[in-house]
Amino acid sequence: MVELQNVSVTYSSGVDALNNVSLKINDGDFAFVVGSSGAGKSTMIKLLLKEIDATSGVVTVNGYNLNKLRKRKIPEFRRTLGFVFQDFRLIPSMTVYENIAFVLRVLDAPIKLIRKRVPYVISLVGLQSKTNSYPDELSGGEKQRVAIARALVNDPQLIIADEPTGNIDPELSYEIVELLKGINDQGTTILMVTHEHDLVRHFGGRIINITDGEIVYDEVVMGINDEILPEVELAQSMENAASVPYQTALGTEPNGSELPLIDDVIAAITGASQNDGGGAE
Amino acid sequence: MKVSGIKYLANQGIENIWKNKMMAFATFCVLLISLLLVGCSALFYINMNSMILGLGNQNEIAVYLYSNTPQERVAEINAQLVELENVDTVVYNSKDEAYQRMQNQISQGKEIFDYIDDHEFMPDGFSVTVINNDQIENTTEIINQIAEVEVAKSSPQVAQFLRELRRVVTIIAGAVIIALAVVSMIMISNTTKASVFARREEIQIMKYVGATNAFIRTPFFVEGFVTGFFAGAGAFLITWAVYRSVYNILLDQGTLMNAFGVASVIPFDDISLIVGAAYLLIGGFVGALGSVVSTRKHLNV
Ligand SMILES: Nc1ncnc2c1ncn2[C@@H]1O[C@H](COP(=O)(O)OP(=O)(O)OP(=O)(O)O)[C@@H](O)[C@H]1O
Ligand SMILES: [Mg+2]
Repeated sequence: MVELQNVSVTYSSGVDALNNVSLKINDGDFAFVVGSSGAGKSTMIKLLLKEIDATSGVVTVNGYNLNKLRKRKIPEFRRTLGFVFQDFRLIPSMTVYENIAFVLRVLDAPIKLIRKRVPYVISLVGLQSKTNSYPDELSGGEKQRVAIARALVNDPQLIIADEPTGNIDPELSYEIVELLKGINDQGTTILMVTHEHDLVRHFGGRIINITDGEIVYDEVVMGINDEILPEVELAQSMENAASVPYQTALGTEPNGSELPLIDDVIAAITGASQNDGGGAE
Repeated sequence: MKVSGIKYLANQGIENIWKNKMMAFATFCVLLISLLLVGCSALFYINMNSMILGLGNQNEIAVYLYSNTPQERVAEINAQLVELENVDTVVYNSKDEAYQRMQNQISQGKEIFDYIDDHEFMPDGFSVTVINNDQIENTTEIINQIAEVEVAKSSPQVAQFLRELRRVVTIIAGAVIIALAVVSMIMISNTTKASVFARREEIQIMKYVGATNAFIRTPFFVEGFVTGFFAGAGAFLITWAVYRSVYNILLDQGTLMNAFGVASVIPFDDISLIVGAAYLLIGGFVGALGSVVSTRKHLNV
């Protein structure tokens, strides 16, 4: 769960990046955060990761009051969430396997569990054949899938994604969001910042628009799938769709066959208890 | 923390050396050079000191008895001198020997025997060497109290000069060693900083996935220690080779160099253990410290 209460952030340079923002994201939600460049989206993400502190207001994430969180407790807090960034943030000197396993090593997880869990999440993102590759040997989309696998390997309550599709081509973007949706279906809360209106339009869901450091729009809308609307019509369609309940929006998702990865994910997740991933390593 | 976790972190440290071999090599070289600079200066100082002390030990008290002293009394005085606290060796010089010796010495131009000025005949005497050259004046004084001793002479100037020399050498060597150590620290710190800086992203990512500072630092510690340890081993081998060849050259100079106290140069075997241990431990810990301290700035995310 994420909660911001009257949060403002002023950078030391004097820029007011967030102005009195209040927001609550419940467990199990999938929320898109949109807004123009410089609106304060990344600032909000940095707040949630306790990379920066709020100038005023209260930030609560996964039950931790970040205002009061002591420095020593930051690692413990961060282990309760996963993150996915535009620039992937994979450790270049580690293989795909090691990058993902690192999260569990930090938790001092038993070797046996690491050997089971890591190949399993690698199979969830369909990268079995790249298990022992280094990040430099992967495409952008593959790197992002590794980042997603890493974000979910310790089964976090919340995954925060700041433009996870920013560095990969639009077609792959859909796969990445499908992947996140699949993870969300298993109960993980997902907060995703994006610039790509097409994606938002396609998937729908809860949409939070930040402009000039303020939330100007926060509604659940229905996805309109592959129809490409000009920029002006987006706001219109959002407003039109605003009254459609979240469940309906998800329920009308018809294009599963065109986007095969989601099926793989769901199959993998549901089949997980029996065949714990197998595959590489 | 489980044993497997500790093993993982130690392995990471070793692997990191290989993965970052260029930076590790740079750190190794800087540590090696630093250790050699400081180590060789220290060894040079230790030997200078030993040589000066050795020269001091060549400083003798010349003891002359009244020429009418009976032979049995001479033997007693000999025994008495040996008993004195600061006395190292006592050599008896008979009249004849003394005369012979004087002639030899003068032909070599040793002014230390100048005090045998207008003596017509040579008296019985002793050459006394002392343990602590700094106390030579006191000892000379004590010997002069013996009734049969006409004169006991040492060269207080020589003792004083050597004392002064040691003091100056110690100050200069201390200053040089401290300066080298400081310069080394700066070089090492810059190198480890650069090495860690190249991996700041990695450190930050680790912080984002919830690694504690200790978890991130442990491999850096291992890495720095191992690199420093090898630098220490390298420095030891180089020092050993150089020291031995210099030592052998000095030894070949034999008598000439003896005058300068070269006999007091310490053989490497006498100090190899302590030199080796110092190189390895100092190398290891300075390497580890440099590496760990350099991570600090990047852990604050
Ligand atoms: N470290 C910083 N120091 C000072 N000002 C900053 C800092 N980071 C961001 N800002 C400013 O804060 C405002 C919000 O920036 P933020 O990065 O949150 O925007 P954003 O919505 O993520 O934009 P984009 O879509 O381009 O990523 C901008 O005006 C930016 O210039
Ligand atoms: Mg941003």
